[in-house]
Amino acid sequence: MTTEAEVHEPIGDDAQSLEARLQRLEEIVRSLETSDLELERALALFEEGVGHARSAEQILKNAELRVEELLGTAEDPVIEPLEEDPE
Amino acid sequence: MPEPKVWSVSQVNRAVRLLLEDTIESLWVSGEIANWTRARSGHCYFTLKDEGAQIRCAMFKTEAATLPADPEPGMTVRAFGGLTLYQAKGEYQLVVRRIEDEGAEGLWRRAFERIRAALEAEGLFEQERKRPLPRFPGTVGVVTSLSGAALHDVLTVIRRRAPWTRVVVRGTRVQGEGASAEVASAIDVLGSSGLVDVLIVGRGGGSLEDLWAFNEEEVARAIARCPVPVVSAVGHEVDVTIADLVADVRAPTPSAGAETAVPDGETVQETLAVSRVRMRALLAATVLRRREGLEVANGGLFRAASGLARPRREILERVTDRLESVTRRLSSLQRARLSEVLNKMHVLSPLSTLGRGYALPQDASGRILRGVAELSPGTGFSLRVSDGTVPCEALDSSG
Repeated sequence: MTTEAEVHEPIGDDAQSLEARLQRLEEIVRSLETSDLELERALALFEEGVGHARSAEQILKNAELRVEELLGTAEDPVIEPLEEDPE
Repeated sequence: MPEPKVWSVSQVNRAVRLLLEDTIESLWVSGEIANWTRARSGHCYFTLKDEGAQIRCAMFKTEAATLPADPEPGMTVRAFGGLTLYQAKGEYQLVVRRIEDEGAEGLWRRAFERIRAALEAEGLFEQERKRPLPRFPGTVGVVTSLSGAALHDVLTVIRRRAPWTRVVVRGTRVQGEGASAEVASAIDVLGSSGLVDVLIVGRGGGSLEDLWAFNEEEVARAIARCPVPVVSAVGHEVDVTIADLVADVRAPTPSAGAETAVPDGETVQETLAVSRVRMRALLAATVLRRREGLEVANGGLFRAASGLARPRREILERVTDRLESVTRRLSSLQRARLSEVLNKMHVLSPLSTLGRGYALPQDASGRILRGVAELSPGTGFSLRVSDGTVPCEALDSSG
């Protein structure tokens, strides 16, 4: 049994979190490791993987911590940016 | 004889009450607890006694709420309060504002052990319950005081290590009456909000009494039922809190909690670099396998294969460098034409493959012989090598 990943369409830069991209990258590497992969399919996975790697690097490069506060109740949550105490 | 002055009962009790309240200052009384009851109103009533005497005592709701636990019968305590008279009954009593176990934190320690034993019996501290933390959390939840140093510490660490992270804070009081209910509710609301991948719950250091909210059962239960993993980060060095025991991961300080919850940026960079290299190598291997698979599978002809390892890897790298730059420019529709591009890459042509020491078995018409079936014993064929052909005959075969 191989854990072969479906080939996904490459996606835009902000469409997915870093976490999702890193996980997907791992899946792709695992799939490429299965030796009976069609060339066409291997290429598609490779291309998708390279896209994820580049987007992930982009995310790392441009990162700025986002801090928010969850207010309200469980039924009626409100999310607002949190003003941090300057120090 | 003049009529004697007659007092009403109320007047007498009032006079005695004022006498007691005005003449005796608040005091500490040591004794054994008996008949402890906590009324529905939240007020507590009990008796303090020694071998020969007893005093009725009352502890009102506000003060009683600060107790970590009800004292047990027979426990020796010291109570601080003022004497007064309960006029309705004509009984004098001590209105207690504070109770301490003999021994500084005894009452807290006792309550701690009681809660710990109960939760342990339920299996809440079991190792099997501990969930692994996500390796790359997109969003980290923080339950702590908005004004405390703990929040500042957590944000500083996450900003340094993993600035791509989103942090969602649920502010709560972390000490004083009602703090544990607030902390528990904050864990519930933030934990099940669907926003966060991991939750840091904590506060800065303090005395056992200051940290008490994190020893309360309701906080422990909120952590236990939290749908995402919880990191406890209560600042204390020697002691452990109940929250620590229930949490999936225990950190000794809020900063350490943040370090545990998010990966280091450099580690992520490294992971990415490794994935890139692996993908390239694996793709190249797939490409080469398609081209050379059968030749390689025929075996025997390629004794020198181990000597090829190094140059071959360099070729792989070059191939994949080019592949990467090619795929970068391709739309997904163009992807299907990539094999054509590959064919143009000199390095992958059969001739260059021969240059690296591989050989092609061909029959008289130049057809490549791909399997044992085509090479039965006695079959003559020619072996094409990089600079010419060599006539051969199959001696034996196995497949």
